[in-house]
Amino acid sequence: MKEELDLKTIKDAAHRLLFDMSEEEFLTLQSEFKVTLKQMKVLGEIEGIDEVAPMTFPIETKITYLREDVAEEPLSNEEVLSNVKEKQSGQIKLPKVVL
Amino acid sequence: MSYLDLDILSIHKALLEGKTKPSLLCKEALERVKKDTNNAFELVNEEEALRLALKLDEEEVPFDNVFYGIPYVLKDNYSTKGIKTTASSNILNDFVPLYDASVYKLLKEAKAVMVAKASMDELAMGGTGTTSHIGTTYNPYDPKHERMIGGSSSGSAASVSASIVPFAIGSDTGDSVRKPASYAGLVGFKPTWGLISRYGLFSYAPSLDTVAYFTRGVDDARLLLNLLVKHDLNDATSLDVTLEDDESKDEAKNITLLVFKDLDVNLKDEVTKNVYHNLLCKLKEQGITIKEVTFGHDLLAAIYPTYNVISFAEATSNNANLDGVKFGPRPEGKTYQEVMMNARTEGFSNLIKRRFVIGSYVLYKENQKTLFLRAKKVRRKIVERLNELLADADGFISLAAPSIAPKFFEATDKLSDAYVINDNYLAIANFSGGPSITLPIGLKDKMPFAVNVTAKTFDDLKLLRIAKVIEKTTGMKGLSYPEVNKYE
Repeated sequence: MKEELDLKTIKDAAHRLLFDMSEEEFLTLQSEFKVTLKQMKVLGEIEGIDEVAPMTFPIETKITYLREDVAEEPLSNEEVLSNVKEKQSGQIKLPKVVL
Repeated sequence: MSYLDLDILSIHKALLEGKTKPSLLCKEALERVKKDTNNAFELVNEEEALRLALKLDEEEVPFDNVFYGIPYVLKDNYSTKGIKTTASSNILNDFVPLYDASVYKLLKEAKAVMVAKASMDELAMGGTGTTSHIGTTYNPYDPKHERMIGGSSSGSAASVSASIVPFAIGSDTGDSVRKPASYAGLVGFKPTWGLISRYGLFSYAPSLDTVAYFTRGVDDARLLLNLLVKHDLNDATSLDVTLEDDESKDEAKNITLLVFKDLDVNLKDEVTKNVYHNLLCKLKEQGITIKEVTFGHDLLAAIYPTYNVISFAEATSNNANLDGVKFGPRPEGKTYQEVMMNARTEGFSNLIKRRFVIGSYVLYKENQKTLFLRAKKVRRKIVERLNELLADADGFISLAAPSIAPKFFEATDKLSDAYVINDNYLAIANFSGGPSITLPIGLKDKMPFAVNVTAKTFDDLKLLRIAKVIEKTTGMKGLSYPEVNKYE
């Protein structure tokens, strides 16, 4: 595992999640990452870890609650759009994709 | 003394005896909310709370509903229909939910009165109470505002310890209720994962997120458990379980608590350590067996990085819906991608972004095996070790935090065992899903400190029984800031 990350990788990780940060913030993160990676190193040092099955949920009961197939009253168009800042003709408005 | 300084059961008794009324309780709670000096609130629910309380005045107080007319505070990451909910993040500014979280609904049905929504670390991703978009939440025990209250359920904790309300709902993904409970002198209880519906709780890391809450005593924690444990088809992870405990059993006899030697070895503060060791001696005198065992240093040291990898990875995915399009502030942009990029850049604070970047990095294809998948394997290994040790015991006990509430700018060695292990081990209960409770045992420099006891999944009632023994032993039930001098 890497011990330090270059700024290019860190910026890429941020941009993949669709946000940006200032150069100063990226540098802070880079130095924080050094500590984080050291802390994470211990994960690979646990004996026989790769033989263990991953655990996702704490209580591994199979849960498949399916409700009866009965129609429910959906939210109205007005309600759905009540938190939308840019809307038009009952729809969310976004910048044009095809100009 | 005000009735608001008491526990739920005592307030209920006063209501039954006609000594107070829901509207009087509500008005006083609202007044205290408005006078708050700890930056504990996102929103005051004045109009609705008063309307409900006045209506409750007109009805007879039911003897079998202890929540009738009791004011409380809800963390701002629970959906409340028609009431602004921001999770203390700018990206959710002005967001008004369209439905009620199940927890809020159950409290509404019980006629409890929500007087305010509490500030919190942004999107529940923080442990200091410093990252809310309205600024830092302060610890009522420290009027100089130098020491933190902890988080992420910072405002919920402050509102109970400042005697504004007798209970407050928080949420706990790593220790977000149990750690601030330690710093704020409260009972902080995280029940077994899946017992209380999370429908309407904004997800941070669903494999760890748990509804949890603050009270002034163990009895109140039990009352809330009775009310809130309900199978909910709206939450696919809600379990249909009936909790059991043999009530006829002597409170302290036949109880075995484990002490992890490799956890407690890092406790350096003499004052808190002595009080804790005295407590263990007193518990022994009462018939509780205290057994010292070794957990395994490497596994204990792995809890914190495992938590970081799993929770940050889950968070990146869960918060992908926050894009400024469907809700939240909508910035300008030439393309829809630019709109989203601007919304997220402006909407998230630096800490959240840094955590997201770590989450993004561990999910890179080339890192999935060595980081994300491995963390999930380590989680199993830790839980298996815990269950192995708890097979012959009823829980394990330690100080909930290695010190009293730290100062805001106190330097910490982030690679030391004291930090990596003792400051962050509480997440073990989120890994296992087991119930876990923090309760105060003493004061140092007028600041509270606490123990935590964690038990096996579904042993919630037994854990509360054990906590009750501890509470009786310490005599610290009902601790809140105005009462501090009483205990010195």
